[in-house]
Amino acid sequence: MMKVKGGDLDKLGLIYERYNRSLYSFFYRKTMQSQLSEDLVQSVFERMLKYRTTYSGTGAFTTWMFSIARNAHIDHYRKEKRRGEDEILDEERIAGDVPPEYVEMDERNQKKVMLEIALNRLDEDKKEVVIMSRFEGLRYHEIAEIQGVTESAVKVRMFRAMKELKQIVTTLSEEYSNE
Amino acid sequence: MSEKNEKLIADYLQGNLSEEDKLKVEELLAKGDIDFIDFRAMEQLHDELDLIQVPEPSQEMSNRFYTMLEGEKQTTRVSLVETIREKLVELLQSVTMPRLAYAFVLLVIGGFIGTQLNSGDSEIEQLTSEMQNMREMMMVSMLEGPSTTDQLRAVNISAQLPTADEKAIRALLFTLDNNESVNVRVQAVEALSRWGNLPLVQEGMVRSIARQESDIVIITLADAMVDLGLKNSANEFQRLIDEKDLAGATKRKVENTIAILL
Repeated sequence: MMKVKGGDLDKLGLIYERYNRSLYSFFYRKTMQSQLSEDLVQSVFERMLKYRTTYSGTGAFTTWMFSIARNAHIDHYRKEKRRGEDEILDEERIAGDVPPEYVEMDERNQKKVMLEIALNRLDEDKKEVVIMSRFEGLRYHEIAEIQGVTESAVKVRMFRAMKELKQIVTTLSEEYSNE
Repeated sequence: MSEKNEKLIADYLQGNLSEEDKLKVEELLAKGDIDFIDFRAMEQLHDELDLIQVPEPSQEMSNRFYTMLEGEKQTTRVSLVETIREKLVELLQSVTMPRLAYAFVLLVIGGFIGTQLNSGDSEIEQLTSEMQNMREMMMVSMLEGPSTTDQLRAVNISAQLPTADEKAIRALLFTLDNNESVNVRVQAVEALSRWGNLPLVQEGMVRSIARQESDIVIITLADAMVDLGLKNSANEFQRLIDEKDLAGATKRKVENTIAILL
């Protein structure tokens, strides 16, 4: 990124190749929307170019990148809120609802659906900690920097997020096994 | 459960625990301070999160990124050329040490060309044009400076210009008419002769004949007029003979020149 800052913009192509999938996954797990996730990935790289001169190179690059990603996501939802538009989700499924074909699925796929729903029912901060820690491999101190809280607070959030996930999955499983 | 134990479990899930902390977790589990079943269920759930898959992004995402990157590169390149040009103009306008400025300009241009080797033809053309403008500005600035060496160098720079604009020609003609150094004026005649097909150059050189005092410059001009076939210069040479007390050899040269031209 220091080379991009120095004017070698081609190096951003290397960064893109290395991190686009990770950013896309981050946004997809947050939004469950493919097109929106792609738009947000584009927004992150546009911001990297725009604010490249502010990159100091002191912390981890991924921390800087996910801070931009987090802000891009927040800005998007602020805009949506102002416009009063509802989200249109992929696969015509509202996050948090069990799809009609659930009963015909095997156990593994049922579990997957339950986990997706449970993750989407977490509040944004908890969901983010789980995504960044579990899927993107960020350390707690890096997540703390991105979220602007202490490392201890992140650890507590992670524990409570996992506890809540477990409760939601248990409740949903009981609910749907009785149907 | 205490926050301390919550943090301990969070660290366990991320694989951050030291040997000492691992023992602590085992003790807490053994004592029942952490519920073993809950702990195992949470650990299992953490592992099962792998089941959540993410689809592949479309090719369109990459296309959009590279289009955006290319656009940014173009914008940056144009603004870089502009910045360099502005800086050079600024530098040359305030130049007090032309030789240093000349060296600096060559360094900047060389470096810049080096970075642009992969550019397209149109960009090379743009850069070539920019370089010519820079050379012309540099030449004019150095001609106006006080150093004879730099004035000579400036006249030589004109030899590197594939074409000359009016400003550069007028600067050379002014040098031919007014420069105190004979060497500089002789060089100016030779430089101007390269563009001797231009009316502005022809008129300026012919007009300059009567202003010359130096025998060497007069002889150089006489040769140039013959080479360029400028017959209308004969009258100016005749005026020179009539009005000035030329040295014998110079007078004979001028008379021969008039004879050739007529």
